[in-house]
Amino acid sequence: MPVVKAATRRVLAGLGLVDRRDAVHAHPELVACEECDAVYTRRPLSAGELARCPRCAAVLGRGHLLAVDGQLALTSGALVVFVLGNVSDIVTLDLRGVHTQVTLWESIWFTWLSGQEVVALLAGATAFAFPLAVILLRLYVLTPLVAGRRVRGFVPAMRALRWVTRWSMVEVFLFGTLVAIVKIAGMANVVPGVGIFSFGVLTLLLAANQAAGLHGIWQQASALPP
Amino acid sequence: MSSVVPTTAVSTAAPTAVSRGLLGCECCGLVSEVIRAAGTPRCPRCGFALHARKPQSLQRTTAYLLAAAVLYLPANTLPIMATASAIAGRESHTILGGIIELWQTGSWDLALVVFVASIAVPILKIASLTLLVFTARRQSRWRQVERTTLYRVLETVGHWSMLDVFVVVLLVGMVRFGAFASVEPGPGLLAFGGVVILTMLASASFDPRLIWPEFSIDD
Repeated sequence: MPVVKAATRRVLAGLGLVDRRDAVHAHPELVACEECDAVYTRRPLSAGELARCPRCAAVLGRGHLLAVDGQLALTSGALVVFVLGNVSDIVTLDLRGVHTQVTLWESIWFTWLSGQEVVALLAGATAFAFPLAVILLRLYVLTPLVAGRRVRGFVPAMRALRWVTRWSMVEVFLFGTLVAIVKIAGMANVVPGVGIFSFGVLTLLLAANQAAGLHGIWQQASALPP
Repeated sequence: MSSVVPTTAVSTAAPTAVSRGLLGCECCGLVSEVIRAAGTPRCPRCGFALHARKPQSLQRTTAYLLAAAVLYLPANTLPIMATASAIAGRESHTILGGIIELWQTGSWDLALVVFVASIAVPILKIASLTLLVFTARRQSRWRQVERTTLYRVLETVGHWSMLDVFVVVLLVGMVRFGAFASVEPGPGLLAFGGVVILTMLASASFDPRLIWPEFSIDD
């Protein structure tokens, strides 16, 4: 019974319906190193400034090169190139007059059909589902934040965002397409399609967003009423 | 690397959060002081469970590592794909075979990249995490900065081993010329994907703060 109660409280606390701050006192003026647990007082960082832990050299914080509105712009761009990358051909192959085009989805589908369903799911999750979730969750959280509001379900969305960011592998997929192209270049004539360039741009946009991290969003949102 | 330190240390001795009765949130980074909590205290900002150290970190890391090491053998001995063509017939390819093929066809640079991503990174990851678990268990104070850096590198490069999985999936999609030429994924690919996922889970389970046991209060 207490287990159920704790789980319920957790959900309610996550939705901001139960205030648990009576038992746990927040110290927003402090920062603890995630890698060696050393504690420091925070001070404002100028744009582009990097704060490293003097003991273990882990990154403690980053001065915002990219404010939330900039992050929102990049994420919107990422959504456009993500859609483009998924509907366009990655490459066109020409083998003695026979043409085939391939999209990400076709590759995953044919892997599924050839009996490696788990591998197809793995590729579909890391190259499609998780990157899409990263983009949608960022849009969901950032759009109201730019307008100075905190979206409903901000906390669960941010926690999900942290998880999917870790398992999103667009950049590895992009490099995989390059290796695959080189591997079959000797056998057939390969023409890169719109898809591969879209994934290239998507990699850059997501990398720029990830460099900004999530702690800045947490800090900005915690100053707003829930 | 640490010549410029733009944070103000609370004191030169750099006390740990634990030694001051504070807990840093692994999810949102907020530092909290637990005054009272019935069960596991939760972060007041994001609701994530607060721990001084990740629970059962070394046990979980070891379990994932063992599973990854077991799968490493079939991942490298079973074929990750099979090609069939009118000219060359049916051929099976292992990871190492694919690298040798790239090398022989003159793409030594790509061969090197695939070698690093598919062979070197998984082996170095398993070996490095074993070293980290072993030294953390002994509460070693040997080369703590280097060990923390090693962990950071592992976290950064870990997912790049998925490269070969994507290469095969794409080749399966690209090479569909019926009797002329086709590519099929092999059972080694599943084992290889398993190794990548398990080593990523292993490094996520390891708590780098265990490299710094001086001020620890538990375990």
